[in-house]
Amino acid sequence: MSEVQRKKYTEQEKNKIFDGEFMPHIDSMYNFGYRLTFDEDDAKDLVQDTYLKAYRFINSFEQGTNAKAWLFRILKNSFINDYRKKSKQPSKVDYQEVETYYNSDDVDYSMTSDLRVDSVKDMLGDEISNALNSLAVDFRTVIILCDLEGFTYEEMAKILDIPIGTVRSRLHRARNLLKEKLRSYAQNMGYNTDEEG
Amino acid sequence: MENSLEESGERKLQCSDVSKCFQLLESILDGNDVPDSKEILKSKLAKCQPCFEHFHLEQAIKEVLRNKCTKHEVPSELVANIRQKIEEIK
Ligand SMILES: [Zn+2]
Repeated sequence: MSEVQRKKYTEQEKNKIFDGEFMPHIDSMYNFGYRLTFDEDDAKDLVQDTYLKAYRFINSFEQGTNAKAWLFRILKNSFINDYRKKSKQPSKVDYQEVETYYNSDDVDYSMTSDLRVDSVKDMLGDEISNALNSLAVDFRTVIILCDLEGFTYEEMAKILDIPIGTVRSRLHRARNLLKEKLRSYAQNMGYNTDEEG
Repeated sequence: MENSLEESGERKLQCSDVSKCFQLLESILDGNDVPDSKEILKSKLAKCQPCFEHFHLEQAIKEVLRNKCTKHEVPSELVANIRQKIEEIK
């Protein structure tokens, strides 16, 4: 990439992009960081690093393109490179489960859930949050990007550097696992599920 | 006829292609650009009970996730720290 071709922003333009297009996403960025690391200090460091990188590489950001997706991609990469090893992730994360899922080609769409809409709607924030947090990081990530942040599959593919087909299947698997969790919470809450009857 | 039967009376109880249908419904629900999505959604929900149930469950889960998992308050010093660090590297 030649310096001539590369668009250089003036100091003023940089500040405008940073304040107008990057900073408005700080809430989402922090939430993402926290749900990846489960630690407030790690999340703060991760978000701060992300914004510093974003500023440093601001010339490779095309003004008017999706700043949120661009920032999420930086944060995700920082997490993988710098934090994943030392993150205080609960050891109970079931990597075996991930392996088994990744090694199977077919996504099971026929798996029905007896979880009911009403019991989902009555769930407490803590239960929803715990269910999400209990998923292995790759599954948790696709749910965060899609359901919490509203990214499209195409945007997710770019953020995660994986094909759209993989986004789709990973998301479906993540949802099945999440439903299993929610279903067990619903049972504990005393909701009747069909299986109990 | 019972009410519940009447409500679902128009819908078939077996989905003809559950993988294809659920994938399509999820794509639409997730805000992806699906051609004729409104018509597809309307007809699937009207004609197929498994599709109807799957869509409404996924929709409910999506909604609670968005409402209950995005309200993490950003530590007040974070923005100030970021700005200070940026001034340092400028
Ligand atoms: Zn169907």
